[in-house]
Amino acid sequence: MTLSLFNQFLSPSLMWTPLAAIALALPWALFPRQTARWVNNRLLSLQSWFLGQFTQQIFLPINNPGHKWALLLASLMLFLITLNTTGLLPYTFTPTTQLSMNMGFAIPLWLATVILGLWTQPTQALGHLLPEGTPTPLIPVLIIIETISLFIRPIALGVRLTANLTAGHLLIQLISSATSVLLSILPAVATFTITLLFLLTLLEVAVAMIQAYVFVLLLSLYLQENV
Amino acid sequence: MAGHDAGSQHQFTGIAKHFNSYTIIGRRNCVLATYASLAAIFLFFKLKPKKKPAVTEK
Repeated sequence: MTLSLFNQFLSPSLMWTPLAAIALALPWALFPRQTARWVNNRLLSLQSWFLGQFTQQIFLPINNPGHKWALLLASLMLFLITLNTTGLLPYTFTPTTQLSMNMGFAIPLWLATVILGLWTQPTQALGHLLPEGTPTPLIPVLIIIETISLFIRPIALGVRLTANLTAGHLLIQLISSATSVLLSILPAVATFTITLLFLLTLLEVAVAMIQAYVFVLLLSLYLQENV
Repeated sequence: MAGHDAGSQHQFTGIAKHFNSYTIIGRRNCVLATYASLAAIFLFFKLKPKKKPAVTEK
């Protein structure tokens, strides 16, 4: 019984062929590509407007050298938001519930911001490890604490996304299982669980979009510190 | 948070001129000194010769 609750998170395979690649390619297939037309259709215009608004908002506080990251962060945001929301459909696999994938995004991008900071402005990058105005006896302690918090960042980034998505999917499965059992036994209680399931689904749609945004926002903040 | 601290309002003398928590250079030097100290402590214990137990006649 306990094992079956986590079966939904197993990476799908067909005849020993991993299907995760198809799941990861889905966002690419869903969104239309830019055309050479002067005026595009409504869907493409809406997509361009959304990406433009998002990129403008994220990169407003970042200096000009950091604007090279615009394409990377905008496409990452679109990718994560699509994976998260399509994973809420019944019987779909959500790749962002896999810690390996989220760490695969978090660690290289975080490390890139750190290396960028150390390479282009090493004094500022190292100086930020000690908060301004720290009393002298606390200096070594605070430097160690700041260093630990620096290395915790990619772990927190990956685990945050994984835990939020996994917990949400698990809750949905638990409450929907309870509802299907209670429908025949106690229909009155089942109406309560159905209402709860509906509200939880709305919450999970919001969480799916917010967590994708938070992931990219935090990366942009780390970039802002180092560029 | 953004921007660099010029530290022009602080007048430090002696060792505080290079190691302080107000100027960006001072903060950088404190960080480097802390890392160097930690590396020195680690290397000291790593390279310290271990005492061999005395061999006794049976």
